[in-house]
Amino acid sequence: MSGSAIAVAGLTVAFGNFVALNNLTFEACYGQVHGVIGPNGAGKTTLLDVLTGKSAPRQGSVHLDGTIDLGRMTEVQRALAGIGRKFQKPSVFEALTIAENLDLALRVHRNSLLREVLARRADKDAAIDRLLQTVGLADRRDTLAGVLSHGQKQWLEIGMVLVQDPKVLLLDEPVAGMSDEETAHTASLVQSLRSPDRSIIVVEHDMDFVEQVADTVTVLHEGATLFEGSMAAARADHRVIEVYIGR
Amino acid sequence: MSSVFDRTASAITGLLLVMLIALLLLGHGMPVYLVNLAGQVMCFVLLAMAVDLMWGSAGILSLGHGLFFAIGGYIAAMHLLRTAFAATHVLPDFIQFMGNGGFPGWWALFDSSLFTALAVLVVPALAAFVFGYVSFRSRVNGVYFSIITQALTYTAMLLMFRNDTGFGGNNGMTGFHAIAGLPAGGGDAGVLLASLATAAVLVCLIGGRTLLASRFGRLLAAIRDDEPRLRFLGYNTLWLKLVAWCLSASVAGVAGALYVPQVGIINPSLLDPALSLEVAVWVAVGGRGGLCGAVLGATLINLLRSWMAASAPLLWPFVLSLLVLLVVLALPNGLLDMRNRSRGWMHSLLPAVGRPRP
Repeated sequence: MSGSAIAVAGLTVAFGNFVALNNLTFEACYGQVHGVIGPNGAGKTTLLDVLTGKSAPRQGSVHLDGTIDLGRMTEVQRALAGIGRKFQKPSVFEALTIAENLDLALRVHRNSLLREVLARRADKDAAIDRLLQTVGLADRRDTLAGVLSHGQKQWLEIGMVLVQDPKVLLLDEPVAGMSDEETAHTASLVQSLRSPDRSIIVVEHDMDFVEQVADTVTVLHEGATLFEGSMAAARADHRVIEVYIGR
Repeated sequence: MSSVFDRTASAITGLLLVMLIALLLLGHGMPVYLVNLAGQVMCFVLLAMAVDLMWGSAGILSLGHGLFFAIGGYIAAMHLLRTAFAATHVLPDFIQFMGNGGFPGWWALFDSSLFTALAVLVVPALAAFVFGYVSFRSRVNGVYFSIITQALTYTAMLLMFRNDTGFGGNNGMTGFHAIAGLPAGGGDAGVLLASLATAAVLVCLIGGRTLLASRFGRLLAAIRDDEPRLRFLGYNTLWLKLVAWCLSASVAGVAGALYVPQVGIINPSLLDPALSLEVAVWVAVGGRGGLCGAVLGATLINLLRSWMAASAPLLWPFVLSLLVLLVVLALPNGLLDMRNRSRGWMHSLLPAVGRPRP
């Protein structure tokens, strides 16, 4: 599967007088890792908020697979339709163990909350074990999520989103606050998540990280696209340099 | 997550079982005031557990559970007034004053014990559903939700104070004749009600802890820790919260329905926000989560209050405030913290070499 996973057209989001996104058009394709960078306040997180339904746009449309209109769906429906998001601040359930976190994240009955609540734990165990291997937390299965390090929480949350097998994986600053070693581990993790039927969108400040993982980069500035292309070309583009260094 | 029967839960279950057996075997020989005290404390315990079910697990603090407690109580009182009328053919005073010449027709429904029992479970849950649905759907959370619950019970109190609401107004409903055929206020009825209340606490403790150890309980914990995260995992948290909220209201309703026959009267004072606030204090002092703290807190504070009501009633507000301060400053999760605290002290007393490796 290749082609458009997320298509955003004419998107405007405003909070009072502040325009966070200004007539933005954006596309992310299957099989690719799409980096979104830009200075603070450029609208990166707002874009993710609109995709997941946390913020409502003033104008514009958001489509999944080119046909499914996300604008009409609630946050919950979008999550079930295959949009998974890792938040900027690690968001895991601290009072639960790693395995329990993943157990809740793994939906085996997407259409019925009741059946999901009553699902047998054994039905989920195989998938959970596989995922613990992927994110590298296999030996900490029964550790409380609250005692994990910052980096481990990030990986657990990526795992929680991943266990849902999302079509679109949104990663909001996945390496913020990580050590070099953890960043390298995260980069190889993101590389391993590439799949022809998945689109990965990474919002990040760390340029080197984006260069390692992303095929295409969109540079946002004041709510609009400033540049789109490869990371190497972005580094050379004088407009990008200008907004980063300042006029 | 802790298992259903950790050490504290086993100890409390054991004590409750002993108390239930003692009531059933020896209750008729015990002083009536003691049986009544036990029965009333158990009703408060049940109410505290209802609050803890929401607060301890899902992190949603209700300051209005007096409403559901009172609904259960009013329903029980309606049943008892109907049976009293059937036996004595004397109308309650407030019905006579209203001048309609008899009970409103629909009260006949409460002639049936079965219907009354069902209503005690269902009506508080329905009230909770209506209120919970609009609040949770509008994403009213945290302290705002707590304040609205308090306003709700206060509004209900003002409503019930009115004579023409039809439930006895300020004076409430009293004059119960018999409880399940036993003379109201007598020792036998007291033993029956105290045993029922103790049994209800046991059922609620074991059932509640089983529920909390299930995936449903873990989902409630997830709501407490990070509700948006759970929503973005595709769970409609509205329904999860509503189920827990309605269940909690039903438990409070049962508590009220067992409480009112014991004290022989219900009036709008049960709807006073002060009671609902105090329940939160019981739970906070006992320790939130897992229902054991609610049992401990409600039992100890109510026993202490009952003792002080005789010896030093004026001091009670000060003692209660001191308890709250103590909890806030020294034991953030109430008496349950003492377990970890005392373990810590023991560890520091042991010589370093003899310490078991963690």
